[in-house]
Amino acid sequence: MERAEEGRVTTYDDRASLTDLTTTAERVRRSVEGVIEGKPEVVRLSLTVLLAEGHLLIEDVPGVGKTMLAKALARSIDCSVRRIQFTPDLLPSDITGVSIYDQQRHDFEFKPGAIFAQIVIGDEINRASPKTQSALLESMEERQVTIDGRTYELPTPFMVVATQNPVEMEGTYPLPEAQRDRFMARVSMGYPTPEAELQMLDVHGAVSPLDDLKPAAHAHDVVKLIDAVRTVHVADSVRRYAVDLVSATRDHPDVRLGASPRATLHILRAAKASAALSGRDYALPDDVQSLALPVLAHRLLPTAQAQLNRRTAEQVVQEILQRTPVPASGSDRAYGAGGRQAPGGPVFGGQRPGVRRI
Amino acid sequence: MSGRGRLALCAWAATLLAAAAMTPLVDAWTWLLQAAFLSAVVSGAGAAARRVPLARPLIVAGQAVLILLLLTLLFAREDALLGVVPGPDAGTRFGELLAAGAQDVGRYAIPAPATDGIMLMLIGGVLLIGLAVDALAVTYRSAAPAGLPLLALFSVAAGLSGGGAGWWWFPLAASGYLALLLAESRDRLSQWGRVFGGAPQRGGAGLDIEGGTARAPMRTGRRIGAAALGVALVVHWSLPSLGGGLIGQGGGGAGTGPGGGTINAVNPVVTLKDSLNQPESREWLKYKTNAKTTGDMYLRIMALDRFDGGAWKFSVREITDIPGELPRPEGLGDGVATTEVRTNISAAAAYRQGWLPMPYPASEVAVDGRWRFDPARRTIVGDRGQTTGGLQYSVTSLRVRPTAQQLAEAPKAPAALLEEYTRVPDTLPGDVRSTALRVTRGAANDYERAVALQDWFAADGGFSYDTEVDSGGGIQAISRFLKNKEGFCIHFSFSMAAMARTLGIPARVAVGFTPGSPAADGAMSVTNRDAHAWPELYFEGVGWTRFEPTPTRGSAPDYARAAIPSAGPSSPAEPEAAAPEEVPAAPSRSSDCSPQERRLGECGATAPQDVAAAGGEGPTLGSVLMWAGGIAAPAAVLLLPMLWRRRLRGLRLGSGGRTAEDAAARTLLVWQEVTDTAWDHGIVPDDSLSPRRAAARIVRLGGLEGAPADSVRRVARAVEQVLYAPRPAPGTGLAEDAERVRAGLGERAGRVGRLRALTLPRSGMRVVWACSERWGAVGDRVTAARRGLRDRAVAQLRRPLRHRG
Repeated sequence: MERAEEGRVTTYDDRASLTDLTTTAERVRRSVEGVIEGKPEVVRLSLTVLLAEGHLLIEDVPGVGKTMLAKALARSIDCSVRRIQFTPDLLPSDITGVSIYDQQRHDFEFKPGAIFAQIVIGDEINRASPKTQSALLESMEERQVTIDGRTYELPTPFMVVATQNPVEMEGTYPLPEAQRDRFMARVSMGYPTPEAELQMLDVHGAVSPLDDLKPAAHAHDVVKLIDAVRTVHVADSVRRYAVDLVSATRDHPDVRLGASPRATLHILRAAKASAALSGRDYALPDDVQSLALPVLAHRLLPTAQAQLNRRTAEQVVQEILQRTPVPASGSDRAYGAGGRQAPGGPVFGGQRPGVRRI
Repeated sequence: MSGRGRLALCAWAATLLAAAAMTPLVDAWTWLLQAAFLSAVVSGAGAAARRVPLARPLIVAGQAVLILLLLTLLFAREDALLGVVPGPDAGTRFGELLAAGAQDVGRYAIPAPATDGIMLMLIGGVLLIGLAVDALAVTYRSAAPAGLPLLALFSVAAGLSGGGAGWWWFPLAASGYLALLLAESRDRLSQWGRVFGGAPQRGGAGLDIEGGTARAPMRTGRRIGAAALGVALVVHWSLPSLGGGLIGQGGGGAGTGPGGGTINAVNPVVTLKDSLNQPESREWLKYKTNAKTTGDMYLRIMALDRFDGGAWKFSVREITDIPGELPRPEGLGDGVATTEVRTNISAAAAYRQGWLPMPYPASEVAVDGRWRFDPARRTIVGDRGQTTGGLQYSVTSLRVRPTAQQLAEAPKAPAALLEEYTRVPDTLPGDVRSTALRVTRGAANDYERAVALQDWFAADGGFSYDTEVDSGGGIQAISRFLKNKEGFCIHFSFSMAAMARTLGIPARVAVGFTPGSPAADGAMSVTNRDAHAWPELYFEGVGWTRFEPTPTRGSAPDYARAAIPSAGPSSPAEPEAAAPEEVPAAPSRSSDCSPQERRLGECGATAPQDVAAAGGEGPTLGSVLMWAGGIAAPAAVLLLPMLWRRRLRGLRLGSGGRTAEDAAARTLLVWQEVTDTAWDHGIVPDDSLSPRRAAARIVRLGGLEGAPADSVRRVARAVEQVLYAPRPAPGTGLAEDAERVRAGLGERAGRVGRLRALTLPRSGMRVVWACSERWGAVGDRVTAARRGLRDRAVAQLRRPLRHRG
């Protein structure tokens, strides 16, 4: 799909829809920000993930508004929303659905699970056992559910917004690597500023702001926006830059498991969405840079040594960002020809993919 | 070989290599073999004693005694007990030999004959130095100080040869010392134990198995040594040299005649100066002649015919046996009046030197002994140690009396002679020629020019006679003499001959004696004080003609007087009219001012004028240019970064072209320029930043506001367009933006920062990086090529083995 876009020239219609995109996105953004005060970057990132057809993982301590963000986002768009509260005794069939024998028709009838919605809010996702969570794997990546040999397509747009507490909290399981890899970005809410908190008191004191929330865009609009995002131009040098960044995580000495090729795909898609949100029809290295941390950090597994040294995955990504040169010398052709390795790039010695370093 | 053994061998070799520099000093070189053998014996004895082992001082003392025994065996066998053990007699013998050697060293020019005294000094010296080196480097195990005795040995050799020896002796001696140092370092390194090599180049283990020694450090050591040697040789050319002077230059060279045998030259110039400055006057020669006047009886010893810019030397010439009658003097035509003169000369026993003093031109010589004839210079030299001590001989010579007219009308000299005797080195300072031209202005022919030169030196130029002057050295010696105007016959004759050559008159310098003074018995007595040098100029039809530029010495010949038509009343047609016996000579131009008076400044305005004229000459154009170049070169080097940066900026901002690609390329160049400008002002570029962020950083760190900040952002946005947009829309006016950024940054940087950015642009590092990258690439290629060759060679070698196996 990415390849096919390369040579596409943006037509007049596409450009028009780009303007639509920005206005629609702006409406949604304002709507969400009406609920979540003082966190514009988090709101923007969740919009970016939405437009990039990804799934969002919101991780933070309890009580900072994770669920509020997810619900606000869901309500701002006029589409089907389901909510799954992940509890330790949740079963996979609760998510995907179950086939029930219909005595009248003498046949098994499929009862769709909670996943069959356009926006799925998975609350406290890491409180369910890994067994349950693995039910999400197929639907999140392939947008389908297979039960009893039958495959059911999920609606579009489809987005999982999951919240979780940090692993150190009581009663949580760490997410499996495979599932973390399926989330496009992980975002952290962080505590609000004193002013935002004060304002929140005023707003939330009277009525729930979610109640007043009117949808700012319809699901059709979102699908059109997603189509528009796909037309954003990404120069070869920017792609190369994304590849450089991701492959640098695989070679970094502090990382046990680097980012997957899916991560490359995700970061590029997110960059496109970010560019579209900025009203640009081409992606910049700036887009890639600003998204590298949320897109890459949750996929990396630091080595035991790095953990002992209190090195976090975020620090590793920051370091890689500082070390990888941005292609800035008009070397489109050089990169296109697949010529030489980017000079000065971090060289940590090759490693086979998937080989774990302890 | 053990470390000490290798060290001892290197010490021995270093001594010999340094000693080899002395071979040009002596005509035979066999002494070096003797010295090598004896030195090896001493070193071997030391090695044996160290193996015993003995106390270190004992070893050295033992070696010293061995040297004494060996020298006794070689030089004082007859006077020693059993031919080896030196007694008091042998001591006396050594004393005599050393005294004789010292005398010989003072007497002979280089190369000296290998007399016993000189041999003793040479071999003994080399042995002692060898002992010192051996003791320091091997016995006391510190090779570095062993360089001092080696240096002493080498500098004696280099100093005595006066730079005449070849430069190759230096690398030879230095490589000996370096080998010694290397051997010691290797020895010391091997005491550390087994040395791990670096990362293996190709397979194999990291252990350096071959030989078990540290090969990489050795190679590095050798490279350092070679580099130091190279630098020493190269730097030597680029530094101002302290060359030999007008005085003190050895008249090197030896003639090997067809009859065989070598002639050693007593250094004429040194002898001359020494004899002039001796406190008492000693009679060296006595002669009786049938000539009517003795004013022209200059006794000529030798002629110096090679001019190297600083000094006159004699060249190597063919010599023959003395013919019964000497050939007719070169260039002497029939029309010139000659008188035959017969002279009997007796030399004092104390006057010993290798040339026969004779009047010029001699036509017949009756002399006993091993004398040989040098036709080109018309001198007679002693062969195989023949000297003039106590010699009696008679000479028939011609007294040539050309008229001024004959000289003035002399045709051009033969081409070969003209070419050889007007040759001056290119390094001769320009003021010699310009002074000569100035002095001879108005002269119509060579003869008048010669006379003008002679008169200028003798009278008009304000020169004074002083035998104590040492003109110092080098190529500037003549210029300095022309400026200081003080000197003695050597200076006068050397300078006049050199100037004559610059004017195209064939010239050489003759060394000998002035006629001397009459003694009581009617003979003429010549003392050491009469030693003299004078220029000889060649005129076709007359031959080599003597001139007398030295004031207060000798007498100017008749034909060289009053020649300038306006000068005086005396007729050149009456050669006998003037009294040649006058000593000191009267000034040749009819003037009422004697040279002495001139020197004392009693002649009114003429002398000061001359001095002023000479001083006004001042620095010549050449030297001005040299100075300017000398100042400009470092300045240019300092300004190089600035000029390079300006050029680069011009190239980047001035690139043209109208197509989209050109515009894109221009945008990128402008961005590069902005980045580098920021770098020049201290904002180091960060490759990991996107154009937008880099621009923000420049604005933040550079403290830019307003228009310059907007310019940076505008350029960055244009770059984004060019680099990442599907259809770039490059901005316009970017070059102006770049200039604005530069101005803005400069404003914030202050004066010092601005100057720094201008003269020492930090972005010059790019050049360094590019160079090192290229160098690295070359290195990689070379390594790859070498590896390929080796692989191929190994494959070639293995193939037959495989067949056999």
